[in-house]
This record gives sequence, structure tokens and C-alpha cells, in this order.
Amino acid sequence: MKPFDIVIVGGGGAGLYAAMEAMKTNPALNIAVLSKVYPNRSHTSAAQGGANAALGNKAKDDTVEMHIFDTIKGGDYLADQDAVDVLCSEAPKIIRELENMGTPWSRMEDNTIAQRPFGGAGRPRCCYCSDKTGHTILQTLYEQCLKKGVIFFNEYFALNLSVSGSRSNGLIAMNMKTGKVEAFQAKTVILATGGYAKMYWNRSSNAAGNTGDGQAIAYRAGIPLKDMEFVQFHPTGLRKSGLLVTEGARGEGGYLLNKDGERFMSRYAPEKMELGPRDLVSRSLETEILQGRGFDSPAGKYLHLDLTHLGADLIKSRLPQIREMSMNFEGVDPIEEPIPVRPTAHYSMGGIDTDNQTRTVMEGVYAAGECGCVSVHGANRLGGNSLLDILVFGRIAGRTAAEEAGKFTPGRISEAELAEQFEEIRGGMHPSGRYERYGELREELGQTLALNVGIFRESSLLQKGISDIAELKERFKKVRISDSSDVFNTNLMQVLELKNMLDLAETVAAGAYARQESRGSHTRIDFPVRDDANWHKHTLATLVKGDVTLGEKPVTMGRYELQERTY
Amino acid sequence: MTVSTDQHKEGKKEVTFRVFRFNPQVDSKPYFDDYTIPVERGVTVLRSLNYIKEHIDGSVSFRAFCQAGICGSCGMRVNGLSQLACTTQVWDVLAKSREPGIIKVEPLRNLPLIKDLIVDMDPLVGKMVHYSNWVDSTMPEAQMGKKEFLISEEEFLRYDKATDCILCASCVSECSILRANKEYVSPAVLLKSYRMNVDSRDASHDQRLAELVKDHGVWDCTHCYRCQESCVKSIPIMDAIHGIREDAIESRGKHDTSGSKHAEAFMTDIEKKGKLIEATLPIRTNGVVWTLQNLLPMAMKMIMKRRTPPPPPLVKSVKGIKIFRAMFKEMTEHVKQDHKSHNK
Repeated sequence: MKPFDIVIVGGGGAGLYAAMEAMKTNPALNIAVLSKVYPNRSHTSAAQGGANAALGNKAKDDTVEMHIFDTIKGGDYLADQDAVDVLCSEAPKIIRELENMGTPWSRMEDNTIAQRPFGGAGRPRCCYCSDKTGHTILQTLYEQCLKKGVIFFNEYFALNLSVSGSRSNGLIAMNMKTGKVEAFQAKTVILATGGYAKMYWNRSSNAAGNTGDGQAIAYRAGIPLKDMEFVQFHPTGLRKSGLLVTEGARGEGGYLLNKDGERFMSRYAPEKMELGPRDLVSRSLETEILQGRGFDSPAGKYLHLDLTHLGADLIKSRLPQIREMSMNFEGVDPIEEPIPVRPTAHYSMGGIDTDNQTRTVMEGVYAAGECGCVSVHGANRLGGNSLLDILVFGRIAGRTAAEEAGKFTPGRISEAELAEQFEEIRGGMHPSGRYERYGELREELGQTLALNVGIFRESSLLQKGISDIAELKERFKKVRISDSSDVFNTNLMQVLELKNMLDLAETVAAGAYARQESRGSHTRIDFPVRDDANWHKHTLATLVKGDVTLGEKPVTMGRYELQERTY
Repeated sequence: MTVSTDQHKEGKKEVTFRVFRFNPQVDSKPYFDDYTIPVERGVTVLRSLNYIKEHIDGSVSFRAFCQAGICGSCGMRVNGLSQLACTTQVWDVLAKSREPGIIKVEPLRNLPLIKDLIVDMDPLVGKMVHYSNWVDSTMPEAQMGKKEFLISEEEFLRYDKATDCILCASCVSECSILRANKEYVSPAVLLKSYRMNVDSRDASHDQRLAELVKDHGVWDCTHCYRCQESCVKSIPIMDAIHGIREDAIESRGKHDTSGSKHAEAFMTDIEKKGKLIEATLPIRTNGVVWTLQNLLPMAMKMIMKRRTPPPPPLVKSVKGIKIFRAMFKEMTEHVKQDHKSHNK
């Protein structure tokens, strides 16, 4: 079989935009999108709030320049300023492009795309479609890909890159419908598999499948991961499930209240109040809880997100999904009562280290979206910038791979290599004697991460986290797969996902332990201030002989000098 | 994980999940497995299935992804009704369960079965492609990104609900036409087609509509409303189906297809008599030739069994036809008004 020109792993916003742009760049190319779910199921659909772009529809004086500054400041000066330039200057164009190809958007009175305020932004620049923005964007992209005739390999689980020396020969993946391990020889591979925040499990807003498959694949192939310690906790997860209540709820005017009925954000961000950046608001909630001002319940301590004063009409028209979720998962109608919330692991700022064109250090391998780390979000992502990131850098990845595919000649992926992969995933997983349960390991991983590598971090906690993860990795060797079927073995898939999470958890904990400062989402109780002299740099985690090895990379600066970050 | 919430004071129930099982590698036909687990209030069907998979039988197979009712992966039939497992509360189902304490979980209908609760979604995607379920923008690709289309909130509201669709295929599973004819376009695809057709940015309205009025298309729906009743996002799917039909008659004329002629014959009869004149309905719908070729043997049988409907002159108007006609006229006016304000 002829090698593919481009194989895209992941069918969310970044992957689909990449596919579309690659076909546009060169229609003659042989492009495939691989996804472990049907693309329209991807987690892009869960993004509720919107996408930032300085269109100036709502605030006429908004500018790209202000968007750039907000993003850099929001990221606590760890973002690369040239990359942020690209993100924000492309924003208005790409939002219009989506609009032009059919994405539904809520509208202003003058019939332009509606915009609303979002955390950490100086102007209301978040473009939205009620509270289903990600869903409608994903639908549009999937529809447009079907229109263009993109070839999809749905329900394929990516296993590993096939590597010869410094270059990739393509991808090895398991067909879920048959259980067969198949080769996708490819000149270029774009990894766009989303984030890894599901490793926090019940304390995460993510879909069950946000297990960092792409990052783990890259890591195992020797590609460095950047800034893995930066995991964003969203301030308002539902108390019981960790599911998300969009920042849009606060954008529309929702209050955060403690058990004394106090709008406690006045203590932490007197000016921006509830619309401070996420890291700050999450820490504020956690502090309120730690200092005994939270509500108590057997499902854990929590605070109130109060929307009742917004009125039934606004809640029904602008936040219908939130209302539905609160009723389904908490039994609370936000029109009548406040929603019980607490911070939940939500987004991974870290990811595969790439340049501004989404290239990784390995020839022919690219990464985009939450899977990659350019970095545009630095130490903390602003709400409304993640949809933007997947669109802008998804497109760049598609274009770059299409332009560069001709340069590479991938080697053949041998039958022996496939057999070896098959043996690795199927052979060793029916241990005799005492065995480990997948569910327990996953649960324990989530617990130790939330406890020891969570919102507030500290040397001894992190050491505990690191040793827990190491122990879990050891126990994982004895994990048992109780389904022996070849057809749609979801049990096997879950175990493989757990393996990816364990590999990545090690890099998150290692990075968090090494970084002796507090910056953005990374808060060290023992090093409470930002230390620009020693730590104004990216961390790189590389797998060397089976161990995490940490390196570093300078931050690209530009117009904006380091400043203290206050809101 | 244990299935627990903070409300354990409210008690626990032993619930038996009767799960549809089929592994094509070993089973010649499907069967059911019973799993009895303690479930507390507030627990969803999906969490219960996760519990079963993790603690009792890892081979029970189903799809699940976001677990928050937005990705559409976990569509399945719970006690006979197609819905999302992740947003369905166990206690709610139990309250309506025919067999106390038992919840039957089966795969969606009308799509090919793969394994246990997993069905093949490819036929649905194939139909989305066949009926061009995308906006074919009036703007050339090279021009895109430069300026916005100006769309009124009013136009946005026309497709707002339709874009809530998460393709969970609950409507597909409940559709009574699909049970008889797998080639039928299916409710979700009609909904999406409608959404594209009312979008002023789209340039393919006429071609899409031409495809929709063909065999297996929009005229095959029998208005059973099961799609709408089962929609997990409460989308008025039937409004979309009616919308396409009205649009077809308006823009393509009443005599364009047998479907539109059928609808028109209904209108004429009801207006005239207050009921159907069944004897000539096939002729008015499909023409004399088709009727003779296709229905003659059945007509003969009906004559033999004295089951033929009365000939048109013998069909009497219903009682109170005058009042009915006035009502009918008023209704038709209302619909016309609605359309005008809609199309502004």
C-alpha cells in the first residue's frame, strides 16, 4: 500500500481543522484521520463558553494587541510571545472563516457575531453560540470534512509511532472493531489527541478518554514534553462529578458565595471579582474551603455558584446546558437555587513541545491543540483561548504537514513490528496468580494526583505523589484484562489509556517537584512567589532509558517585559 | 469506585441490570446477563454500567465518553426506550419499570449490531453524506475569513434548536419507518437537512431538497412522533420534517412527487368532506398506471372480501362540516401567517 502523505491522530477541533486545511493546501494528498471515537464525539464538543477573537463587535475599542497582552499576562509570562502573536492575530480571521462555512453563532443586535466577557480578558471578546460553542464548532468541522471527502478511520486506538533513528515511519494503531494491530505508513503524522487532565479522574471535568494518548505516544518515541506540570483547575466543577459549569455562567453575572453568603472573590480579586483568571479563582475557592468557609457534604466540601438573580429567561436562553447538567447531576435547578461547585482539573497547558509551525523535534511529526504545547497559554490558559488554539494551530499543522510531506520518505513498518506491538498489548495482560484491577489503579492515580499534585503543592506532598505513581506503575505490570474478545475490547482500551496516564503522571509530578516557584496554575506552598531569575523558563520532560529526564528551554519574549501579575 | 453519592441517607436499592449480550466471535445469537448491584439515588445508568464493568464483568461492552450528555456516545435502550445512559437516573427508570427492581439495557435499534450495547454508526454517517448535511457556503473559499455574514438573531433562532443535535441516534432507534426500511433517510438526517436548508449562507438548498423528496426521503415519514418524544435534547424534530415538506411544496410545486400529491389529496378531501376518500387516494397519489400495476391484485382481493372503501359519490361529509370548514380555513390562514413571519 502507498504511504499516506498525512495521518492525523485525533478527530477533535485541531485534527479536523488540520485535515481540512491540508486538503485545501494540496488536494492531491492522501490524508487520513484516525480517531478512537467518531469525530463528532470528541471533547471539543464539551467546550461551552466560546472562543476569543478581537472582532470588536461588542467593545468597539478591542484590539488584537489587547488580546495578546491579556493572554501573556494570563499565562504568567511563561507563554512564548511570538506564538501568542500568531494565536491572537489569526483569531478574527479564523472565527470569521468558521462563520463563513456555517458555524451558528449567537448574534448581536446589529447581526454580527455576539461576544461576552470572559475571565482575565480586558474586553468582552469571547464569541459564542449560547453554551454549546464547542459542540457547534465541532459539528461544522465534521460536516465540512465529510463534504471534502476526508478519509476517516473511526474507532482506531493509536498505539505508537514507528521510529527509525530520528524519523517517523508512521503510526501503529489498533482497529477496535477487529482487535487487529495495523500499520499506517505515513510521510507525516499530526498528533491532535487532546489533553491529559483526565488522569485526575473524579476530580476532572474531562471526558473519560482525555488520557493524553498523543503525548504518551510522543514521549515513548523520545519526543520531549513541555511544561507538563501546568494543569489548570477550573474553579467551577460540579461537586459530585467534577463536570464543568462554564465560565460563561460567571461571564453572564453569576456570583461565587461561601457558606456565610459572602462574595469572597472581593478578597482575592477586588477588581475583576468572579472574572479573575482561572488559576486565581480556583485557588480562592480552595482557600475558602481550607479555611472552613465551605459547605459540608459527604461528597466533599463545596461552595455556591449563584445564578438565581440572573432570572429564568437569561438562564434558559444563554445557559440551557448548564441548567440541564445541574438538574441531571446535582438535582439542582439554578433558576431556583445556587449550584454546588468546587475546582476540577480541566485543562493541560503542557504537551508535546513544538515550534510555531507545530513541528516537533522528530522529522515528520507535528502536534496541535491541547496535545501540543507551542506555548501560547504559558502557566495558565485564559477561558476562550483553547477553542482558539485548536483552530489556529490545527490549521497551521495541516498546512505545514501538507507543504512538508514531500520531503520525507518513511521506512516500511514491518510485520514483525506489528506482531511485537500486538504481543505487548495482548500477551502480558493475563497474569497468573495475584493480579491488579484496572479500576483500582486508576482510582488511586486520580486520588494521589488530586491530593499531592493538585492545586496547592509542596515538596513532601510531591515526593509522596512521585513514589505513589512509581508504585502504581509497578503494580500496573500485573494488571488483568478480563475481556479476551478481539471485537471492541473496551476493557483493553481502558487499560492502554491507563498506561498512557501513568507515563504522563510521572512527567507532571517530576516537573511540579522540580519547579521551585509559584507561577500560574502551579502553586508551591513552600515557594510561594514567582522566581523569574531561576524559573522563567519552560521545562522539558524526555524519556531516557525508561526514566523522566528534565531539561529546559528559554521563553521567547517580545514587546512585554516581565511584570507582577495582579487582577 | 463505589456507586455512591452524598445522599446515602436516602437509602439504597438492589437493582438488577438485565444486559443484552452478544459477542460475534463466540455467540450465535444474543442473550441477556443479569447483574444485581446496590444503587443509591442520584446514580445514572452509565455509572451503574461502569460499576458492573469494573467490579463484576469487564467484558460488558458499551461506548461512553464525556459522561455529561454532550458527546452522544452512550445512546442505548433502557427499559425499551432509547436514551443516553449518562443522563438517565436509575431511580427514575425504576419508578416506571414494569418488572420491579429490573432494568433492561439493550443496544439501539435500526443500526447494525457490533457487540453487546455497541452498534455501527457508519450507516448514519453515510446518510449525512448522501443528503449533503453541511452548509455549502455561498462564499468562495478564497474569500473566507475576511468578513462576517450578517445574520439576524431571528434567523439564528430558526436553526438554534436543530444544532443542539448530538447524533446520539436515539431518534434513529425509535423511528418506526426505519424498522421497516433501513434505507429511509432517518429523523436525525432530516433534522440536519432542515437546519442546512434554512441557513441563508447555504447554496445547496435546491439540490438537497431534490434528494430529500426522492424515495426513502422526507415523504416516507408517517408522523408517529416517536423521534421527537425520544429526543434527548428535546428538539422538535417533527417541526423540521414538516418544515422540509412545506418548503418542498412551496418551492417545487404540489405535483412534484407522489409524496406531495398524497399530502395534497389529504388536504382536498379533508377540506371537502372532513374525511378521506380512500378509493381514489392511490390514483391521486401515484397515478392510474402505477395503481393498476401495483394495487390491482390487492384491489381484487378487497373486492372478493367486500372490503373496498366506498366510491367517491357515496362518501358523505362528516357531521357539522360547515363549522369544520370554517375552522379549517382559519387554521390554514394561521399557518400561512406563521410562514410569512418566519420567512421575513
